[in-house]
Amino acid sequence: MNTIQFLMDGFGIAFQWQNILFAFVGVLIGTAVGVLPGIGPMSGVALLIPVTATLTAGLPTEAAAASSIILLAGVYYGAMYGGSTTSILLNTPGESSSVVTTLDGYQMAKQGRAGSALSIAAIGSFAAGIISLIGLVLLAEPLSNVALQFGPAEYFSLMLLGLAAVSGLAGKSMTKALMMTVFGLMLGTIGIDAVSGIARFTYDIPVLYSGLEFLTIAVGLFALGEVFKTVLERDHEDGTMAKIGRILPTRKDLKESAAPIMRGSFLGFFIGVLPGAGATLASFFSYIGEKKFSKTPEQFGKGAIAGVAGPEAANNAASGGAMIPLLTLGIPGSGTTAILMGALIMYNIQPGPLLFDDHPEVAWGLIASMFVGNLMLLVLNMPLVKVFAKIIQTPKKYLLPIIIAISFFGVYAVQYTTFDLYLLLACGVLGYLLTRNDFPVAPLVLALVLGPMIENNMRRALTISNGDFSTFVTNPISLALLIVAAAWLLVPLLLKLKGRSVVLNEEG
Amino acid sequence: MSKTFDRFAGIAFLLIGLLFVIESQRISESSYGSAVGPDIFPIGLGAVLILLSLRLLYETFRYQADTQKGEPVLYKKFIVIFVSALLYAALLEPLGYVITTFAFLLVAFQTMERGKWIKSIVIAGLFSFGVYYFFAEFLGGSLPGFPVFL
Repeated sequence: MNTIQFLMDGFGIAFQWQNILFAFVGVLIGTAVGVLPGIGPMSGVALLIPVTATLTAGLPTEAAAASSIILLAGVYYGAMYGGSTTSILLNTPGESSSVVTTLDGYQMAKQGRAGSALSIAAIGSFAAGIISLIGLVLLAEPLSNVALQFGPAEYFSLMLLGLAAVSGLAGKSMTKALMMTVFGLMLGTIGIDAVSGIARFTYDIPVLYSGLEFLTIAVGLFALGEVFKTVLERDHEDGTMAKIGRILPTRKDLKESAAPIMRGSFLGFFIGVLPGAGATLASFFSYIGEKKFSKTPEQFGKGAIAGVAGPEAANNAASGGAMIPLLTLGIPGSGTTAILMGALIMYNIQPGPLLFDDHPEVAWGLIASMFVGNLMLLVLNMPLVKVFAKIIQTPKKYLLPIIIAISFFGVYAVQYTTFDLYLLLACGVLGYLLTRNDFPVAPLVLALVLGPMIENNMRRALTISNGDFSTFVTNPISLALLIVAAAWLLVPLLLKLKGRSVVLNEEG
Repeated sequence: MSKTFDRFAGIAFLLIGLLFVIESQRISESSYGSAVGPDIFPIGLGAVLILLSLRLLYETFRYQADTQKGEPVLYKKFIVIFVSALLYAALLEPLGYVITTFAFLLVAFQTMERGKWIKSIVIAGLFSFGVYYFFAEFLGGSLPGFPVFL
């Protein structure tokens, strides 16, 4: 069967009524998550894992996995659409990837062109979503074929590269990011060792034998961490909301933003494919690029529509591009994709090159549903943008306790132990303290997911080579990957030494 | 960034790293005949974490005095919510989901902002009953609904 055939089968799955519903719920919640400042895509996805797990409990494993991942991915790219709304209307970015949208978007809103800005953002996101999906369809097969040739040594180095990329770009201090990565890897070693069956660091405590549950830690660090932050440091909800006015963009607006959308889409897609560099970086580069391309750069910062169209397209394309390493290589490039991967593993489905052969319905169903979901988002965001703008006004005093209650429910309904609830609360406090002091938590979660795989591949490679560590550097592909990984850590350091400011990726 | 926190974190992670290295020695030998047992990876990680923590401690001596964030921190609210969340976790199994969730939400709503009791009670009630019935009755999930002694 060829790619087209697989894609058609994927559409067959995406058009099952429950999956249409799941995609719809996913993008709807995603948009809300994007609109609400304080809840990012990462905590949104983490919070919904338990909910989807219970919703799909009656289905056979594979169908359940496909449905869940359709919903969760919907939240992920839906949040990219929603993030622009608050940037434009309130000058407060809902996500870090929409920070640059505030520069011109809010200016447009002040001039009474909020509607145009919002609809261009939605159209740009849609175009970018479709372009990145086409890229995903075209690249999925060849990339997974390449990855199939990989042995344990190559895999080990590839995963190290993923971790290095995320740590190298996350947060202000690389030392702290690396510490978080190593700490995450360590937490991953708790429990029964998969290779030898020996219990490690369990101290005869029964709940520890299965290891620390990834879900509990992710929900605690992200969702509860953010809730605690908002409780402790009252967010200033200043700024008046701009009137939306006319929603459809004018012909002139469309004409001016067509090229930036195309450029933003391609740029965002390629940045998204790279591990570590995510939507935030993509939107940032797109903005700089558009300013250079523009015939009237002085308009930027004063309400240039290209400054909204380009970055919004880029951040959406990046979220599509980020699915490629996750699905084809089994390596998440960001915090959010790490959580998506954790969700797949919960269903005993291992993302990676074999995914397309072993579970075509999950892989292609997801890809097809993303086409459907993007279309839904366009429809949702154009006429309903005024409704979503209302969500911003949800009072925090009700929202925050309910988020805590949802995380409790989610964790308990999946784990059935009170231990996980205490762990959840502890992770919440830890997440708050760490984030507040510039210890990025995204690398921790990524490392926790990748840890067991890294270790297994390392030990398999060493077993093959009879304990000879040089196997990682004598294998050419593995060596190349290790060199890239080292470069990823060293280049920002060297740039810093030279006094250049380094663009940081604070998105998860 | 806070220098005190960084130093504290540096020392804490240093100890965690040390603990990992020491405790890894106690992991039993692999019977699986491989040169690389289950202890290599944790030992390596522990060693790297120790080095990184030392590096962080070294960095804290290099940068200038910390610029305090001017954010007022509302400890009181947080402590009330955190303690009620702890009680929520502890009482969830003996008292059941509905009662504990309702009580937790009510306390938390009122801690966030006093007043509007009726609205708080309605929202807390809707959420706790709604989630329980949707999950346990409609979806057939298992959740301790009500106190065991009832």
